[in-house]
Amino acid sequence: MIERSPWQLLEFLYLLARMELKARYKGRFLGYLGAVGLIFALAFVFWIAFKVIMGLDLPNYSVYLVAGLFPWAWMSMGVVSASRSFVANAGLIKEMGIAHAILPLSNVVQEMMHFALALPLIVAWVAIPGDYPPTWSWLWQIPLLMALQLVFVYPLALAAALANAYVRDIEYWLGIGFVLLFFATPMVYPVSMVPEGLARYFELNPFHALMECWRTVFIESRFDATHAAYAAAFAAVEGVVVWFLYRRFAPRVGEVV
Amino acid sequence: MTAALECRDLWKSYSSKRVGLKTLLLRPEVARTSRYARRWALQGVSFKVSRGQGFGVLGANGMGKTTLLSVLLGIVQPDRGSVSVQGRVASLLELGAGFHPELSGRDNVFLYGSILGMRLHEVEERYHAIVEFSELGDAVEEPLRTYSNGMVTRLGFSLIAHAPADVFLIDEVLAVGDARFQEKCRRHLQEFRKRNGTLVIVSHDMEALAEVCDEGIRLEMGEVTDAGPIGDVVRRYQSA
Amino acid sequence: MSAHSLELLYLLVRKDLKVRYKSSVLGYLWALANPFAFALVYWVAFKYIMRVQMENYSLYLITGIFPWVWLSSGITQATRSYQNNASLVKKVRIPRAILPLSSVAQEMAHFLFALPVIVGFLMFAGGFELRASWLWQLPLLLAVQLAFVYPIALVFAVGNVYVHDIEHLVGLAFAMLFFLTPMVYPISMVPEGLRRWFELNPLHALMDSWRGVFLSGTLDGGKLGYAVACAAVFGAVAWLCYRRFAPRIGEVL
Repeated sequence: MIERSPWQLLEFLYLLARMELKARYKGRFLGYLGAVGLIFALAFVFWIAFKVIMGLDLPNYSVYLVAGLFPWAWMSMGVVSASRSFVANAGLIKEMGIAHAILPLSNVVQEMMHFALALPLIVAWVAIPGDYPPTWSWLWQIPLLMALQLVFVYPLALAAALANAYVRDIEYWLGIGFVLLFFATPMVYPVSMVPEGLARYFELNPFHALMECWRTVFIESRFDATHAAYAAAFAAVEGVVVWFLYRRFAPRVGEVV
Repeated sequence: MTAALECRDLWKSYSSKRVGLKTLLLRPEVARTSRYARRWALQGVSFKVSRGQGFGVLGANGMGKTTLLSVLLGIVQPDRGSVSVQGRVASLLELGAGFHPELSGRDNVFLYGSILGMRLHEVEERYHAIVEFSELGDAVEEPLRTYSNGMVTRLGFSLIAHAPADVFLIDEVLAVGDARFQEKCRRHLQEFRKRNGTLVIVSHDMEALAEVCDEGIRLEMGEVTDAGPIGDVVRRYQSA
Repeated sequence: MSAHSLELLYLLVRKDLKVRYKSSVLGYLWALANPFAFALVYWVAFKYIMRVQMENYSLYLITGIFPWVWLSSGITQATRSYQNNASLVKKVRIPRAILPLSSVAQEMAHFLFALPVIVGFLMFAGGFELRASWLWQLPLLLAVQLAFVYPIALVFAVGNVYVHDIEHLVGLAFAMLFFLTPMVYPISMVPEGLRRWFELNPLHALMDSWRGVFLSGTLDGGKLGYAVACAAVFGAVAWLCYRRFAPRIGEVL
């Protein structure tokens, strides 16, 4: 096992992130527009399907969609790619004894980068029509939420990577899990549409809390402290649980990948 | 003697451009012409190998040997020139290309055998001989990821060695297993030649080449800079 | 397709299935659980929350989702098939068209395993009866879908070697198409003006054909004909594309 200092690990993280940036955008503007454009296209499809065809009645629906889809994409793609990170880098883990924890972190950070790069376009989308002008408060609210989301998502990513190393099905389960969550969070309709009995359960969903925070920032320029606190508390619990799981299962990852 | 394998004036170049969607959409003329950073891997290579002959290819790394074999095998298309090969070809360019670590040695033999072009019944007929030659014993029922590197290479070579073929193309993989196993492989190849099989081998192992081949060429920057009886070519290469 | 190619195809599919289910808790059940779970999620979301009004909505979902998963997963997996088997392509001479086909065949195998379960569901949950017409309708649709899916898979697989963006596009494209085909609501809900565009979508023709066969034992000749025509066009395009670009895959990978 090579001795690694935290600085060395951070440098490694930086290198991985740079590689991903290069690969995804190939240093050109159009690649960036393409990646961001796809998520806007997805929002457009949902808008057609839900507003035009199914008659969903929500005045700020396009903003509602966009404000949620980008953080969601960061989270779901981060966790799903992280789940493959140990298996995909089996050689790395086996031969270099690399600190396992950094690989899923690199996936989450990479997606966060893509999110950060998309922010200017998101802000433009929300602000330009005029109903939801940007305010100075976004300057602290957005970074704060990003930090919250990072702390929220990383333990999930690490747990996914550990689980998938032992039980290869996990990445397929994750796919379903996120679709389930997508409708349970909910991402394409407001929670007000949920019938009385079920609504309480939706409020219990920590992912809902996190996504609501994003929406209130963009739509109301307000920091939703209650939901944020709930999400942070959940992140703390996740952190503890995953720390124990990591100590128990990480050492044997090299044998099972 | 009819030529088992013949190359006529082979030219092959590589350009190191990768094309993304944006380039394709916005600058199609760039995508079409690959004149950027053109590297000539093969320049006017011609030679003939008769049936039953052993033909060696020497040269330092990056001089075009692997490209030559890829072209002979049909994996890569030359820019100019042609190749003709008579009979069934079996190649070993990379041991275990197609091996899957989760499957047992047995499953891999059948899969790889099919990949090499064998019918299932042909693999079936040769299965015991293959396992015996590889000296794996019971390990053949275990998943491949439990094997050492040596075991994987022995299995791969054993499979190739028993493939029904008229021509063998081998890239650098004579250094398989311990000295005793290597001797076994060399003897097997010599038997193959005695049965009128044709061999084309690329290697750094001068001793092995000298033992198994009778003629050869030397490649430098994709050009044939020396040709003739293998002993002479080796001697001149070593003294250079 | 030579005998050897068929054997190789069989071995490749068997390898993929074996490897996938070896370290798997559910084994083959997974092939069924996955689409069923999706169907369940959509059923809850759309019936109870979006309040889509439709008789036998669960059956509408089930009979569409399984063929959809075959199609979308088959193509998505096939797109990376050359990258996933790079050493095979670069070092051994194999009929390259087989690799994307093995991805499509693998998903078709899952679909075939699921067929009895779909039928069972129709019978027990929906009170439907077994139909004799299925004996010729199902194999026919299977063949049509295979002819439809494989050329697309082949073109994407070859294309992805040269233009890596394709694999990212495919995933999102299917997510979008899922809502535009449409898979979770009946086409009758689409307003008049838009509906013509939806009907131009060959995926709609194909998926609706499956639903028609399962739910009412009818096979709409018009839709089927359209799907077949599209398959023929895709086939021609794929053949041209393969001839032109496949030989150089070994160098570009």
